[in-house]
Amino acid sequence: MITLENVSKIYELNKNHNVTTLEQINLHIKEGELVVLKGVSGSGKSTILSLIAALTKPTEGEVVVNEKRISKLPDSFASDYRQQDIGFIFQKYNLIPTLSVKENILLPLVPTNPAEDEAQAKLGKVLEQFQIAHKKDEMVRNLSGGEQQRVAIARAHVNNPKIIIADEPTANLDEKLSLDFIEILKQLKSEGKTIVIATHDPLFFDLEIVDRIVEVKAGKIL
Amino acid sequence: MILAPEVLTLLIINGIFLLLATVAFILSVKIFLKWDINSTTKTQYTLEKQSFLAATIIKYIFAIKLPLFLFFVFTLDKISTLLTGAMCAAGVVDATEYGTYLLILKLLNLYLFGFWLTLHYLDMKSPNLPYSKIKFEFFIIAFLFLVAEIVLEGIMFQAIDIDKMVSCCGTLYSSASTSAIGDILNINPTLLLGLFYGNFILMVLFYKLKVKYLFAISNITFIIIALISLISWFGTYIYELPTHHCPFCFLQSDYYYVGYAIYTALFIGTFYGIRSGIMEMIGEERKRSYNISLIFNTLYLLIVTAYPLVYFMRNGVWL
Repeated sequence: MITLENVSKIYELNKNHNVTTLEQINLHIKEGELVVLKGVSGSGKSTILSLIAALTKPTEGEVVVNEKRISKLPDSFASDYRQQDIGFIFQKYNLIPTLSVKENILLPLVPTNPAEDEAQAKLGKVLEQFQIAHKKDEMVRNLSGGEQQRVAIARAHVNNPKIIIADEPTANLDEKLSLDFIEILKQLKSEGKTIVIATHDPLFFDLEIVDRIVEVKAGKIL
Repeated sequence: MILAPEVLTLLIINGIFLLLATVAFILSVKIFLKWDINSTTKTQYTLEKQSFLAATIIKYIFAIKLPLFLFFVFTLDKISTLLTGAMCAAGVVDATEYGTYLLILKLLNLYLFGFWLTLHYLDMKSPNLPYSKIKFEFFIIAFLFLVAEIVLEGIMFQAIDIDKMVSCCGTLYSSASTSAIGDILNINPTLLLGLFYGNFILMVLFYKLKVKYLFAISNITFIIIALISLISWFGTYIYELPTHHCPFCFLQSDYYYVGYAIYTALFIGTFYGIRSGIMEMIGEERKRSYNISLIFNTLYLLIVTAYPLVYFMRNGVWL
């Protein structure tokens, strides 16, 4: 499903100063697997997620998802891949505060311009699934952190992507909301989604639904 | 040297082109030497990033070159008022020995850049970037033509002496001229028109029969025959003067700038016609090129045919 082969990522700040965030890592994630990337801040977890989501390209090595060499994709094809195959849940939700809940959720559908009925059906499904139907017309800036998190998950899920990527999803949530999020994860896993989470929240390390914990340290997988 | 504002504008833009195109050229050479799309090395990823930069530069140069060509012709026309004897752009083109070559080179470069853009378009349609290497090889050659054009343009404007008398278009494009123009203007009009309309009918036939290579070749011959017949015969009906054969005067306001429409239709039509042959050569099926080519070539034919027909209907005689 997802393979990272000899992947390195080096940021060139200037001619004499390079920052190596990943160094020759290899990782294979199977379809339907829930993998947690564990590590301290700056260890390279988010870079791995960005590489899987084709948000960035490796400096060396290759990222293959569903037999597609995504690290070699030109930008326009990478956008299509992200739009069709990836649902991304960000630490700070990255919702657009001036739009309503339903407008935020519908955003990933805009590039494909589906028929109104189809879009409404998809919207209705995720609103119900993540229990935010009663808030659909509210502006997202008026929602609580937990509700914003649900909107972010609904938005990531509206396209029914094969892969869900979450970067520190519980960093801004209290314990109860974090447990709610784990319930949602269970739902997504039962639907057969491949889930990759980068976190240093210990809550994830003993979960039954987690298939594998991968420790990332100083740009290497231990 | 003439330093009219329009000439200065052209020279400054050329300077910017040269700078940017040199960057694209250096990157193209690197890509040509080291490109391997299957490789996952640092070098290849860097080249892929650089290829997008180079392609963006080339695209923008072309996007500006297209209107700049019309501006160049407009400038020649404008500065003709500064040269004693010149009545239109023809006098400026003939004012130095470089003018004609520059004009031909400019047209050739527009076609070259257009074909480069075609390759780029095909390349970007596939995630494997199948034409990247060939398109940058092609740019290496196109760059040399571009440099030649920029240098020649500078030399031409440098060489124009405003104190020197130049010939007007009436003398340059006269059947009494001893140059090749004189020979062209002495071609039998019936033969010329037979070739022009015959070439067009063949083009339509090749379009209908989907004989793609012949369609492209008929477009190449169409440019030549269309330009000769325009100067030799159709142009005289635009001017309504049997002895006036200038290919530039009808770009002026006196003729409602119709020359821009005529040349644009001809160059777009033939460009897409030749492009369809290139597409066929690299195994790409694009019906749109054929359609655009035929539409613009037909438009060209209708515009130039309308002038003698209208003249005949109004006056009952041919010139």
